[in-house]
Amino acid sequence: MFLALREIRRSKVRFGLLIAAVALLSFLILFQSAIQSSLIRQFVGGVRNQTAPVLVFNVDGRRFPQSSTIDPSIVAKVAATTGVATTARIYQGTFPIEADRTTAATTVLGYSDADLGGPGVLVDGRLPRARGEVVANAGNAEDGFTVGATVTVQPSGLELRVVGVADDIGINVIPTIFTTADTYLTVLQTRNPAATLDVPNALGVSPTKGTTVSELTTRLDRADDTIDALSRSDAADLNPGIESIKQSFTVILVLFGLVVPLVCGLFFLILTFQKVNSLVLLRALGAPARRLVEALMVQVGFVLVVGLGIAVGGFALLARGKTGSLRLSFDVANVGFWVALLVVLGFASAAASIRRVLAIDPNQATGGGGIGR
Amino acid sequence: MKLAWKELQRQPARFASAAAILFLLGALLLLLSGLVEGLQANTDSLLRSQRADLVVFSKTAQKSIPQSLIPADVATKIAGVTGVRSTGDLGLIQLGGRLPEAGPRELINVVVVGYDQPFAGLPDTIDPGTTWVDSTLRARGVRVGTVVRVGAAQTPLRVQGFLDDVGFQTQPTLFVPTDVLDEIVAANKPDAVLPPGATQAVVVDTSSSPKTVALAIDRATGSTVTVTRDAAADAVPDTGGGVLQQIIGLTVLIAAAVVALFFALLTGERVGLYGVLKAIGARNRAIFAAVMTQAVVLSLIAGIAAAIVAVAFEAALPADSIPFVLTPARLATSLALLLLASVIGASFSLRRVLRIDPASAIGTST
Repeated sequence: MFLALREIRRSKVRFGLLIAAVALLSFLILFQSAIQSSLIRQFVGGVRNQTAPVLVFNVDGRRFPQSSTIDPSIVAKVAATTGVATTARIYQGTFPIEADRTTAATTVLGYSDADLGGPGVLVDGRLPRARGEVVANAGNAEDGFTVGATVTVQPSGLELRVVGVADDIGINVIPTIFTTADTYLTVLQTRNPAATLDVPNALGVSPTKGTTVSELTTRLDRADDTIDALSRSDAADLNPGIESIKQSFTVILVLFGLVVPLVCGLFFLILTFQKVNSLVLLRALGAPARRLVEALMVQVGFVLVVGLGIAVGGFALLARGKTGSLRLSFDVANVGFWVALLVVLGFASAAASIRRVLAIDPNQATGGGGIGR
Repeated sequence: MKLAWKELQRQPARFASAAAILFLLGALLLLLSGLVEGLQANTDSLLRSQRADLVVFSKTAQKSIPQSLIPADVATKIAGVTGVRSTGDLGLIQLGGRLPEAGPRELINVVVVGYDQPFAGLPDTIDPGTTWVDSTLRARGVRVGTVVRVGAAQTPLRVQGFLDDVGFQTQPTLFVPTDVLDEIVAANKPDAVLPPGATQAVVVDTSSSPKTVALAIDRATGSTVTVTRDAAADAVPDTGGGVLQQIIGLTVLIAAAVVALFFALLTGERVGLYGVLKAIGARNRAIFAAVMTQAVVLSLIAGIAAAIVAVAFEAALPADSIPFVLTPARLATSLALLLLASVIGASFSLRRVLRIDPASAIGTST
């Protein structure tokens, strides 16, 4: 322990560079992982956390509620499918809405039945009861969407009052509000006074007793080639935008995850090679191999603790703000997962160095050159 | 210099670790660069390729075509402003597109664009039922004569010609006259139908200073934001490229730190050798040049290997998966950044080389 720490003190530049590399790499891993989960949450959180167990899109909508339109013949086919208990119309559009004196494109989702397309569990306030009332995404509180706030649809000036907020109901990574179909129509008519609610964007469907969600989606898909029925979690996970985000980030995170143990492992291996003569001498003077391995592990642990500590600290500071339009969050479980994984990989990477230390023969000290390299 | 080469040739294993890590970092840089290019490619080309001087949006639309709505009376006012030579409607809608022989559930994302004022090689008129399309659709087997069916109503559009660099938000575009776009919207997205005579944006050709005309238009209407076509293109939302650019910057920093680390270790190993070299007259400059040569050679080898992997990755990617595009410029920039990081990293060893005292080094090595 004493030797291990003294060596670190004497080789400040080397260990400093290694710690800097581990800290930067780990910080990037945490940062990118947070961007990925934030993107997914804000992109399809509103789909995952709405109340309908099954969502029906038109296959042309490519699983984006706003791009989908369900014509009356499809509505009838869905209602007539065996296993369907109830259906409800869901509408979605994007409108410029001013909140806190800033106008931003905002997703507005209209539901005809709060139990089939309404927002999930509210964290504050209540569901809309009257025309002009909305539930906002809790993540948009800093943008002015708080309970009691009045926001206005632009340029018409139509006022909407936020009466409740729910967690993670964002759609398309922009501010999101849920409201009744009646209110949605008034918002839609600010754009086109002749607009009607004849054609919904999607349908919320519940299965009859004894019918599973999976059975129901299979039956609905078979009912018509243009029907794309999905459970709410599949509607979120299988969104083409999400799949692309996941694939991109997985490749990057795996590569970054590989670099950390590789840098760490190779550093300690080279260091072990460089000081092999001293290690032979220590063994010859009676130091057990276990103590040398312990010293090595202390150094690995020190590098990982300081490096990961800096990375987690830096990320905690970053997670307080926004990156572009994304609000990052310090997800303890996610950070814990990556820290644990990197610690395990970091210690595992020292295996080659440990093997080298254990292979040292103290008798080589009598030869004058230690272990030949 | 010769010594540096010989050491690399005779003891490649000594440098293998640094090369392996540089390879991984190089691969990361290239993958990130490919993603940035993929996300930025064809994002704002539709607006950059306009010939008109100005683009007019509604005031609250944040310069976004899908968000903008210019009512008929406002469009008329714009046309009457002094300095406006001609105006045209510009609108678009994002729909699913079906290619011939694709299955009933195999769709691609397309953006149907309605225009009045030709640009980017578009003809003055397009026959009803036909379209000119973004040339990126060639990669999907689209040819002149191919019929693409768009939207839930499966409106057929026969391809008449191709245009380069006219994509919108990474999606391929199909061009039709504005009245045809209105019909397509009515058939496929009734909730997106605009009031009679309205359009999403107006493009304006000016006969005097565009800036002055832009101000005059906004003053006359009171409900619009008029910007140059470049400003309109700049306003198209960044789809993640900005964050990835920051990550690339940090990755270059990491590459420099890692190279510095490994060259510090390698230099530490050779302190004795450098002491001897100094004692027999080698200059600091020569020793440092040798270290630099090794760093450059290693980063070139690692960079080329990473480039091969990145190109193979791009080739193996199925269409419609990750937005990944490797251009020669991006490839060259990424490799140059890796090289720069290696040179900066290796230069950290300069201090160590300068500090070597020939006498003491000989003393410790004998």
